[in-house]
Amino acid sequence: MTPRTTAEGQERHQVFKCGLEIHIQLDTKRKLFCGCSTAMSEKEPAAVVIRKQHPVASELGEIDVAVQYEFLRNRVFHYQVFRTETCLVDLDEEPPHPVNPEALEIALQIAMLLNSDIPAEVYVMRKTVIDGSNTAGFQRTMVVGTSGYISFKDSKVPISYVTLEEDAAGIVKEEDGVVTYRLNRLGVPLVEIGTGILGGFSPEDVQEIAYTIGIIAKSTGKVRRGIGTIRQDINISVRPEGRVELKGVQDLGMLSKVIRTEVERQLTLDKVKHETRAVRPDGGSEFLRPLPGSARMYPETDLLPIFLEKDYVNRIRRELPEPWTRKLERFARELKLSDQLAKQILRSDYLSLFERIVSSIDVEPSVVASTFLSTLKDLEKRFGVKIENLTDEHFEGMFKLLAEKKIVKEAIPEILRAAAEEPKERIEVVVKRSSLGLLSEPELRQIISRVLKKERASTEKTVGLVMSQVRGRADPQTVIALVKEMSKAVS
Amino acid sequence: MYSSQLKSELSKRGAETGDQVRITKRGVTFEGVFMPKTTLSSPSTITLKVASGYNVGVEYEEGTRIEVLRKGKAVEFAPAANLPEKDPKKPSVTILGSGGTIGSRVEYLLGSVYPAFSPQDLVLAVPELKELANVDGRKIFDLFSNDITAEHWKILCEEIQKEIRSAVNGVIVTHGTDTMCYTSSALNFMLRNPPVPIVMVGSQRSSDRGSSDNYVNLVCSVLTACNSDIAEVSICMHGEEGDEFCYVHQGTKCRKMHTSRRDAFRSINVLPFAKVWYREKRIDYLRNDFHKRGRGEFYLDTKINPNVLMLYEHPNLRPEIIDRLANKIDGLVVVATGLGHVHTNRYNDPIGVSILEALENLIKSGIPVVFAPQTLYGRLNLNVYASGRTLKGAGIIGDGADWLPETAYVKLMWVLGHTTDMDEIKEMMMTNVAGEISERTINEAYLA
Repeated sequence: MTPRTTAEGQERHQVFKCGLEIHIQLDTKRKLFCGCSTAMSEKEPAAVVIRKQHPVASELGEIDVAVQYEFLRNRVFHYQVFRTETCLVDLDEEPPHPVNPEALEIALQIAMLLNSDIPAEVYVMRKTVIDGSNTAGFQRTMVVGTSGYISFKDSKVPISYVTLEEDAAGIVKEEDGVVTYRLNRLGVPLVEIGTGILGGFSPEDVQEIAYTIGIIAKSTGKVRRGIGTIRQDINISVRPEGRVELKGVQDLGMLSKVIRTEVERQLTLDKVKHETRAVRPDGGSEFLRPLPGSARMYPETDLLPIFLEKDYVNRIRRELPEPWTRKLERFARELKLSDQLAKQILRSDYLSLFERIVSSIDVEPSVVASTFLSTLKDLEKRFGVKIENLTDEHFEGMFKLLAEKKIVKEAIPEILRAAAEEPKERIEVVVKRSSLGLLSEPELRQIISRVLKKERASTEKTVGLVMSQVRGRADPQTVIALVKEMSKAVS
Repeated sequence: MYSSQLKSELSKRGAETGDQVRITKRGVTFEGVFMPKTTLSSPSTITLKVASGYNVGVEYEEGTRIEVLRKGKAVEFAPAANLPEKDPKKPSVTILGSGGTIGSRVEYLLGSVYPAFSPQDLVLAVPELKELANVDGRKIFDLFSNDITAEHWKILCEEIQKEIRSAVNGVIVTHGTDTMCYTSSALNFMLRNPPVPIVMVGSQRSSDRGSSDNYVNLVCSVLTACNSDIAEVSICMHGEEGDEFCYVHQGTKCRKMHTSRRDAFRSINVLPFAKVWYREKRIDYLRNDFHKRGRGEFYLDTKINPNVLMLYEHPNLRPEIIDRLANKIDGLVVVATGLGHVHTNRYNDPIGVSILEALENLIKSGIPVVFAPQTLYGRLNLNVYASGRTLKGAGIIGDGADWLPETAYVKLMWVLGHTTDMDEIKEMMMTNVAGEISERTINEAYLA
């Protein structure tokens, strides 16, 4: 799959060094430091709180470059409050509650799957952030794993750290110095995985490494899916003196292009400035702010250290999910998925839902896999269907109907399209309302006899005419059999 | 804190907080700055700040090797930005520190918080201050608000008097928030006719964070101290969850009503004196019945007897408890229910309990008993119910007062510093001294 590059291009792109920071939202019921829901489904804010943030005096009597820069922007922050998804903790009006144990356990699982050392004691830290995306002015974060690695093409890729942290508030808009944030994303548990310095890899290799890390995290079955649930930052340098941080690559498939574009950009410059750049949808980037200086990180004094009891750590280790390489083999062997399909479903956001469906519902695994891998993409790209409206219940309900032979697989695209338009309805209702259910035999016979009466044609043509009327509501094999039988009777 | 084994190992290696150390354990190496032990951390772990800035806990066990790579440097704050020349056109204000987190500096390496009270530090922490006034500052104490006593109130009064004599336009007192209203009440009784505003301020969010309320609170306090006409002890704190304005509350009519919100301080039974807009730098007065600048003769009256107890009325409170107080206290404030009630077992219920006799005995032995309302809002009235009338007859002080329990408590201490005569105590208590008793209550003042 590696795009063709000229010998010279290949060489040019091997000179860079980079480090990845991959952020993955965890699928927990509650936020990391409070009891708020992580659903992020409320649309209308219940209130808006208007705040300012100010530079904090450092120990050196000076103000950090990045901090000062942000301060000079003289912004006012409007924080949107959502009733079930925001509380006083998110508003920085109440100290944090103890770390959500569900999130800590998932983070430790991920750290272990990445072969990390698990610390004896975990400390929550405050990392200064002054763009307003954290109401406190800092982000809470903790190291749950150090010195890990993954195997990639016969080499070991170092995983420097795995941290568990709170997601920042989502930006809504920025105009005339007023930045509006929604607080329902603030506090959603996030795992950050940082690689060591990657040198001697191609941009495509780096993209593969990112995919592999994502697959490993997903194997916990506790990772959120959808746009923005996995985000990556990448540090790139072509020379030892200048490092650029590219923030917010949301689509993993873009990564190699982003790297290529940035390497080209840096190669054309005489001197590379230390800075943070935001990635544009086209793979290019634009200046965001200078890089923060030495890490402004200090202990969160409102939370106690978490001592990880040996029994607790050992239990998590014992119950670790199946490694992804073994899962890949199993998908091919037991589910009879092609190698290609198995690899794709492993990378998919729908991995855990896929596994749940094929293990509990009697359906063809390849049908389920291709629904998630191609049907959804098709619906989104070609028909603009809002696939984010489709819930686990929709898919499970639909495949149950398929197993019970109440629908045919050809109807899947239409059913999903209809369900996405009425996401609150149960799938059975959607199927019924849009007449997408399987026709009964008498209904089918009636349609066939109508066609036969109208026109005498070859069996093949008759089947074609019937199918054009019943597509998605009858099994083609049944139609053929009935047409054969009935045309005999007519003649 | 540390296990004895780890402790002796650390001292043998000469490892001290702040040193760069290396720990080797089963072939794995950790390097970082040796961090101070936090409360409730496991006795067998060593905390290191690693290169990324994170703290990581390493468990010490048999065979773990600790080496000091480099000795740490003592924390030294570089001198802060130069203070601008005093501008004769600007008002001058002095900030007196009594503690709390407001105006402190953070040392990020070890995460410790240091008080910052030199004028340079303050201006560094809140650069806007120098545009508003010539700011001076000094530390009087560095105490948690819970540790501030009546003796500290006296010292604060003397220090404020010094500032007033040096002709400042206003004085600011920083204070921890938990007991700030006790201090603001006490200062209001002790500082008679102050010629300038005395503004108390604190913060609900620590000053290490960009979101701290200290910035807005300090700016609004300076505006109040320099530009307002409110020449009494007030409290200036956030008026809402956002950062748009602060309220200036009357010191004897204010209470911390929330454990953690920025706008925890609320005026009770009255409106705040004023609303101060942070961005607009504007003061909107909501009342005009405060003591004005330069009126009356300023003097200190710090005589106080702190031997007063505050008792919260509740069902099942046994009279024996009150009997035991007889020789131990000089005054009692009962935080009573509703209009001013305690259990008197009025209908002689066979299993009922009464504290009426116990309170009567205290009063007979010369200990004044003052009532204040648990409801906080509203006015005591001992005429409405029979039990109220009985209590009034027994000599309870407070009928008709709309004071806060904390204010009534502080006032009783102050009154007892002046007299031990029960009639005089009663008269002084029921005479408004510092706005603690108001004649009328407007409807807007409820949950305002």
